[in-house]
Amino acid sequence: MRSGSSTPLIERLALSGGRAFTYAVLVFLVAPIFVVFPLSFTAGQLLVFPLPGWSLQWYREFFTSPLWTGALLNSLFVGIVTTIVATVLGTMAALGLHGARFRLKPFIMALLVTPIAVPVVIIAVSAFYFFAAVNLVGTYIGLILAHVALALPFVVITVSATLQGFDPNLPRAAASLGASPLRTLRTVTLPMIAPGVASGSVFAFVTSFDELVIALFITSPQQRTLPRQIFSGVSENISPTITAAAVVLLMVSVVLMLVMEWLRARSERMRRPVGAEQ
Amino acid sequence: MRPVHAAIATAIVLTFAQQQALGAETVTIVTQGGQPGDVQRKTVFEPFTAETGVQIRVDTFNQELARLRTQVETGNLVWDAVSLNPINEVAGCEEGLLEKIDWSKYARPEAFEAVGGFGECGAPYLASPGALVFDSDRLKGDAAPKSWADFWNVAKVPGKRALMYQPDQTLEIALMADGVPPSDVVKVLTAPGGVDRAFKKLAELKPHIKWWKSGDESMQLLLTGEVSMGYGWLGRVNAANSSNNRKLRIVWDAGYTNALIFLGVMKGSPRKEAAIRLIAYQLSAPVQARHMEALGNPPANADASPLLSEARRASLPDPKSRNGMMQAGQQYINFWLDNGDAIRQRFATFVAQ
Amino acid sequence: MTAMASASPRSVSVAVENPGLAAQVSASERKHLIKMLALLAPSVIFTALFFVLPLALFMFRSVDNPEIQTYLPRTAEVMQSWSGQGEPDEAAFAAIAADLNAIRGQPSLGLIGRRLNYALPGARGLLTKTARRLPIAEGASAKDALIAIDKQWADPALWGVLHQQSGRLTDFYLLTALDLHKSPEGELRRVAPEQRIFIDLYGRTLSVSLTVTALCLLIGFPVAAVMARAGKRAASWMLMLVLVPFWTSLLVRSTAWVILLQNEGLVNKALMALGIISSPLPLVFNRAGVIIAMVHVLLPYAILPIYSVMKGVSGNHLRAAASLGASPLRVFRTVYLPLTLPGVAAGGTLVFVLSVGFYVTPALVGGPGDQMIGYFIAYFTNSAVNWGLASALGAFLLIVVAAIYLALGKLVGFNRLRVR
Repeated sequence: MRSGSSTPLIERLALSGGRAFTYAVLVFLVAPIFVVFPLSFTAGQLLVFPLPGWSLQWYREFFTSPLWTGALLNSLFVGIVTTIVATVLGTMAALGLHGARFRLKPFIMALLVTPIAVPVVIIAVSAFYFFAAVNLVGTYIGLILAHVALALPFVVITVSATLQGFDPNLPRAAASLGASPLRTLRTVTLPMIAPGVASGSVFAFVTSFDELVIALFITSPQQRTLPRQIFSGVSENISPTITAAAVVLLMVSVVLMLVMEWLRARSERMRRPVGAEQ
Repeated sequence: MRPVHAAIATAIVLTFAQQQALGAETVTIVTQGGQPGDVQRKTVFEPFTAETGVQIRVDTFNQELARLRTQVETGNLVWDAVSLNPINEVAGCEEGLLEKIDWSKYARPEAFEAVGGFGECGAPYLASPGALVFDSDRLKGDAAPKSWADFWNVAKVPGKRALMYQPDQTLEIALMADGVPPSDVVKVLTAPGGVDRAFKKLAELKPHIKWWKSGDESMQLLLTGEVSMGYGWLGRVNAANSSNNRKLRIVWDAGYTNALIFLGVMKGSPRKEAAIRLIAYQLSAPVQARHMEALGNPPANADASPLLSEARRASLPDPKSRNGMMQAGQQYINFWLDNGDAIRQRFATFVAQ
Repeated sequence: MTAMASASPRSVSVAVENPGLAAQVSASERKHLIKMLALLAPSVIFTALFFVLPLALFMFRSVDNPEIQTYLPRTAEVMQSWSGQGEPDEAAFAAIAADLNAIRGQPSLGLIGRRLNYALPGARGLLTKTARRLPIAEGASAKDALIAIDKQWADPALWGVLHQQSGRLTDFYLLTALDLHKSPEGELRRVAPEQRIFIDLYGRTLSVSLTVTALCLLIGFPVAAVMARAGKRAASWMLMLVLVPFWTSLLVRSTAWVILLQNEGLVNKALMALGIISSPLPLVFNRAGVIIAMVHVLLPYAILPIYSVMKGVSGNHLRAAASLGASPLRVFRTVYLPLTLPGVAAGGTLVFVLSVGFYVTPALVGGPGDQMIGYFIAYFTNSAVNWGLASALGAFLLIVVAAIYLALGKLVGFNRLRVR
């Protein structure tokens, strides 16, 4: 799309204007996130610029205060268990959806995907009332169940997407050749869908790791997660430790994003020789 | 499949570590958090644990009664002791969310008479006065406010005014600004037309009001100069001054509100005895003195006052002055319990318009 | 969950040629289907149990009304048979006196007081006060005794509320969430002006959401267009920059905006240093802050679908139109815009639906006058403990979201989007 001399001046102007605008928007998108970086190294008490000096005190605070380390451990624990459960359930569901043909299929797909479409506040309040009635408020199980409900659709969607170029008869062919179901799964199905399963599980992990609203409603101090701890930091006690925590959260997200992008690129490379045009 | 194995192992180890930490008897107490929470941990909870071996876990809440309700109704108690404002102490007691406890068995009742005595369920442990606050580095000489009328006078000192986004305390302040003496505020507010009068006075200042939602935010607004004066709580002002080396000043003579904070035990708590022990400990004069010396609030236990340092006593409002408006008494509490929802709705509408 | 297998065209054609094989094939098809359904079952059961069921129970709360029948059973019975007109007879007074006496000093009295107080401020105090003076003397008229305790017992409004609220189901919360109430005569009326809050709230929620959606589309469209026309490397870099905020915690981003936009924040300091303004602009804890932060959070949801559609628009169409002499503006209006419209619709729908339910961002960067429905659902759940009203607000929010999906859902194509 190089602008040759044939391109009218007005279009070239629009294009360069558009480019400038785009760069400005990209800066707008990314810059605020990097504001928290320098602030987390402040030597002062307040979250204002210019920094009175540089210090690692807030990271020390973050990694030594039991309140913060406990929150980090909780977030990791809940995130990992959520990921395992959601990935297993979601992958099974995606395989089932892909392999079966029946009338209620669109309905089932819609059912499995709706949790994404419902505002989180409503899911959180519903979970609060429901879990209160069955004694799951203030328990790890309650928080994990709610997070799995939220994360499941992402796994179903990503794995389903990977399965789109995958012939549902392949595993059956393997089975008809005498492979056990487990062997079929290991040698035929999983290698094909592995990138989708992996990115689905990354989605599931981030969904849980970043989730705030449900945690606000149904956790007790024992299950206090990192986002909840940051939230109470922001709304009750503004200290720069929250910026240190935010940087940690950010790092985890960005690393996972890079993993995602790598997986996506890999799966695209893997698919190309098969000739699936998508 | 190996990462999954690792993940499962991590999960198991983490769960195990969590349970290990909870081995000894642990009482969960809920306070308002923030810097005052830190002070409480250092001056009350840590010494208590050292003395008794009972571990303390702290959670914070913003007086959301629903969180007590779900725990009690399902019998799934995660909290044992809670810190409550006077209105929630009565509501929680009436609705069966708190244990009824005769606190005179654990502390000298006469020492608490000055603040209105024990509640049916809770015992008062500190007073939290809220008053006119300004930054004495920014407003000097004639600009320094002396009354709530000055606070309302944006022609004299320009700038935003910070008030709390909550009608209780704010309507009372509005009445004081309208010339009602602090000792008459309850009478005027609960009488017919009192609420209308307060809203009318608030409407005068409304374009200049910056509403805050948490104690820390109120201080942040003053410290960053976002507002020129505000309504703030004594404990928060002390903390803001000491940790930022600033000179926020309180104008007691303008008239102030004074709320008692109660401690109560969750109904049906399996750790009721330990919770009572913790609360009784907090009510005792030496602990009250140590806690309030650091926090800067007036103790509820009158026996603690002589134990405070001279400097600390000077920073407290004069207990004999008539400028304080006690947020207590049946008339006041019942007024808010009966009309609170309706007034809060009207308040939200008022602010949003 | 019953699901019927539809005979696939393949097996039908086989059946015509060889009935025996056909039976075998269809048996194997059935076995396969059962296996696939077994794979599906855990997720379906999980979603039904931990998503659909809680949601349904939550919705039910908006009409659920157990308190009066549970705590004041005699009164509820008398009220059900009463016409609701004028003053009730002695039996009604006797019933409520007996009910209140039975729960005197118990938590039930506090709970029923709270429930009636929703509909009639002051009812709680009346019940507490009355219960304290019960029981009434043997043989005395309950009516006289109650009115002697408080003359509010002679007020038809009180009895009107008791009459209207005594059913097992109620429309009270749904009406309240629309700023309506029922007069003692049963007519629908708007509540007093200073109590009207929810209609404004819906208006505010919709106007903020529409503003955010419009801004996201206006900003997102040219950005997506530039990205779609850029070279492969540049495009993947830009995509990365769009994705970074997409992957960053909402909480972190909202906090960053508070820090940036406050009076002594970076934005104000920079503008003042440049001499553009002389005193700090109020950018945070107000509507402007909410909109800036929400646009920031939601912009990737607008850019990505538009970008993916634009990538598919072949440059040939545009060149063809241009070569036929159409002006660039005309090419844009008549060719490019219609071709990219599905992406715009998808992005717009997504942004709108997400923003309608926002709670965390307005709570952090908004002022009290900028809170949306989500905030009030949380408030009525946690602080005011008025769960019926929280549920009614939730029901209306859900209706809005569902309506948009039903109307525009096909355009969104959920499973094709890389949503987060």
